[in-house]
Amino acid sequence: MSAATLVESRLERMWQPRPGVLGWLLTTDHKRVGLLYFWTTLALFGAGGVEALLIRTQLIRPDNHLVSPATYDELFTVHGITMIFFFIIPMTTGAFGNYLLPLMIGARDMAFPRMNALSYWIFLGSAIFLYASLFGGMAPNAGWFDYVPLANGKYDPGAPIDFYCLAIIFNGISSTLTAGQFIVTIFKMRAPGMSFNRMPLFCFAMLAASFGLLFALPALSADTIFLFLDRNVGTHFFDVAHGGSTLLWQHLFWIFGHPEVYILIVPAFGIATEIIPAFTQRRVVAFPLVAIAELLVVFIGFGVWAHHMFATGMPTVQVVFFSAATAVVVIPSTIQVFAWCMTFVTGTAEFRTPLLFIAGFIFMFVAGGLTGIMFLAVPFDQQVTDTYFVVAHFHYIIFGAAVFPIFGGMYFWFPKVTGKLYFERPGQISFWLLFLGTNLLFFPMHIVGLEGMTRRVYTYPSGLGWGAENLAETIGAYLTAAGILALLGNLVWSFFRGEPAGPDPWHGATLEWTIPSPPPEYNFAVIPKVSSAYANWDEEDRAEDRRKLAAAQLVLDRGHEAPVASPVDGWFADVMQMPHDSPHPPLLALALSLVFTALVLHKFVLAGVFVVACMVVLAAWHSQEPEFE
Amino acid sequence: MSVSDYVAGGRSERAARERRRGVSVGAWGIAMVIASEATLFGTFIGSYFYLRFHTVHWPPLGTPKPEVAIPLVMVAVLTTTSLPMQKAAWAAAAGRLWRTRLWLCSALVVQLGYLAYELRDLVAQLQVSTPQDNAYASIYYVLLVADHAHVAFGIVLVLWLLWRLRSGLTAYRANATQVAAFYWHAVNLLTWIVIGTLLSAAA
Repeated sequence: MSAATLVESRLERMWQPRPGVLGWLLTTDHKRVGLLYFWTTLALFGAGGVEALLIRTQLIRPDNHLVSPATYDELFTVHGITMIFFFIIPMTTGAFGNYLLPLMIGARDMAFPRMNALSYWIFLGSAIFLYASLFGGMAPNAGWFDYVPLANGKYDPGAPIDFYCLAIIFNGISSTLTAGQFIVTIFKMRAPGMSFNRMPLFCFAMLAASFGLLFALPALSADTIFLFLDRNVGTHFFDVAHGGSTLLWQHLFWIFGHPEVYILIVPAFGIATEIIPAFTQRRVVAFPLVAIAELLVVFIGFGVWAHHMFATGMPTVQVVFFSAATAVVVIPSTIQVFAWCMTFVTGTAEFRTPLLFIAGFIFMFVAGGLTGIMFLAVPFDQQVTDTYFVVAHFHYIIFGAAVFPIFGGMYFWFPKVTGKLYFERPGQISFWLLFLGTNLLFFPMHIVGLEGMTRRVYTYPSGLGWGAENLAETIGAYLTAAGILALLGNLVWSFFRGEPAGPDPWHGATLEWTIPSPPPEYNFAVIPKVSSAYANWDEEDRAEDRRKLAAAQLVLDRGHEAPVASPVDGWFADVMQMPHDSPHPPLLALALSLVFTALVLHKFVLAGVFVVACMVVLAAWHSQEPEFE
Repeated sequence: MSVSDYVAGGRSERAARERRRGVSVGAWGIAMVIASEATLFGTFIGSYFYLRFHTVHWPPLGTPKPEVAIPLVMVAVLTTTSLPMQKAAWAAAAGRLWRTRLWLCSALVVQLGYLAYELRDLVAQLQVSTPQDNAYASIYYVLLVADHAHVAFGIVLVLWLLWRLRSGLTAYRANATQVAAFYWHAVNLLTWIVIGTLLSAAA
């Protein structure tokens, strides 16, 4: 047996997971956590999609009464919450980020593998919590941004808004854990030699989104804590009669809510910047500018929140400031669009399915971006606030700019995750179904919006001339659903019948394509050498890795070991012992779920008891120490 | 298998194994926690001033002004615990078990005393005004209780450390002591900012 096979079998033995369901329940492997995230968010995407179809079916013709008005309110509220908090964020960060980030930076796992598992189990708990409210007939019903006074205890009594507040906080804990985890992983766990400027653009995007989450979520948590206290303890944060302010809700919500938009789309930018080089076989144009733009877009995104509030009668100075700040966001966004387009033009673009989705994404992002620029003209914004024009804009951004790259990424990394190739022609058909479907679904919304159709209306009378557009939108919705089913059907079929993919079907640019598909538990047998951001194209480095493996050098096979690098230069700083499987993350998430269940039932003492239970689990968790030499 | 001298990222595996270099991953982790908590408190304090600047009388008429002297003295006392916490971290890094325990215990006494006094004071204040009175009282009590909760969690952290140290020091526990010390430095600074914000109503 050669030295390389010996090393690999040693590592295989050391990193072997438990068999069966227990292996998934106790796992701390970032790839398994990523897959768990993937399946869960996909199921939630299905739920949010069914809600969307019900909304569109209700609006198919004037004076329709398919669902009751109360149900309709729940549908659009839960649709918004699901798609934003339970689909896109956990899909981009939780699924794509968890699975790919360590592979791209040449790491063997995340910096805190158990915390990573914890964030998944908390996410699962919060999703069950939200959907329990829907099936209990107590779903949130005041819109996803939940404005007071509509959402306060007087006008919306009972459990629905309590579910909203608690589900948001609960889900926020999971996202915060993920964000902090990603930042530390990116700074500390890169393969020695990968200095900051040699990091793939996907990782820059993940870093930007993680900073965004870490600093934006507390504003939303504070806001929902205030609302929960107003409703259940009798405080007066949003009660004007007692010195509170209803606008405080809106300010805090949008201080979170606008960075949120970039948190949704920046990881999608990251996916695009991985797919484009692979299918143009060319390095991304203006690499440093794109990296900086990814970070800047989130940074500037923190200073523009009040453009969601131009209709609230703010002082002129504030309105002008936020209008100008919003214009500034255009600069980093446009830098990226031009860089992508120039990479297309100067490379040899091969329009396979993933690249088609990225081309569709650029089209949708530019279209949605152009209507976005229109909103910073304050008089225009005040006219179209709360109309379908706004709905059209943010669906172009969220579906076009965030979900299209997710679909492209699903095709792109499918061979890496499963080891099988997807079927190309059905893949392209699914793209065209989705592209035509979404444009038919969202474009007419611009027109009815300008004609005065307000968002969230339950139904509309005939004779307003909105019938044809709404019918077209509904047809588009079903076309989109067909496209999604075609995509998933293709992937499922490919999983069973696809050709073997081999380690690198696309001649991709980054480190994940240097290892077998699907990746082994330990990711990299030898710690890879990195001397550019396109590591897989550096033939000499890869040859050197093979030589090292044959000589059993730099394989870190004394245990669950991973290298730690210095944060900026990527010097080899330390060898860390990574934790093994652990029962504590799911246990802690269970205890936390009980805390939130007790809170929504107003059993505050019981909630306190479960908080103590959380502490006990935490103490047990930290009693397991890694073995230092 | 012998450690190879193969160089990666400018440093050999042997050197990396023998001498840790730079800030530990655990310290990065606590930095993330502190960043997140600081932002949460930043939002609370921002809300405090937002409400204040939309109100004519602050505190509203009929609500007593906060007392200044005693809270400031208490924060000053709490801040002194940063010293024994850091001393404990250094002692742990040097492998001196009893010193670590002693410094932790001396910090714990002051921290417990602070929290006990503050909770008694909180109960007394609630006799005079409650968070249900007006928006000023709502944000006042939320800030105060959130700060106390962070002190309480810090005490739990120290108790847990002492419990772990009953079977001696390890590299992991030394690291944990340093992380707990970082947490306490942050809480002490935070308490100054929170109390400063709350006392601004007395001016």
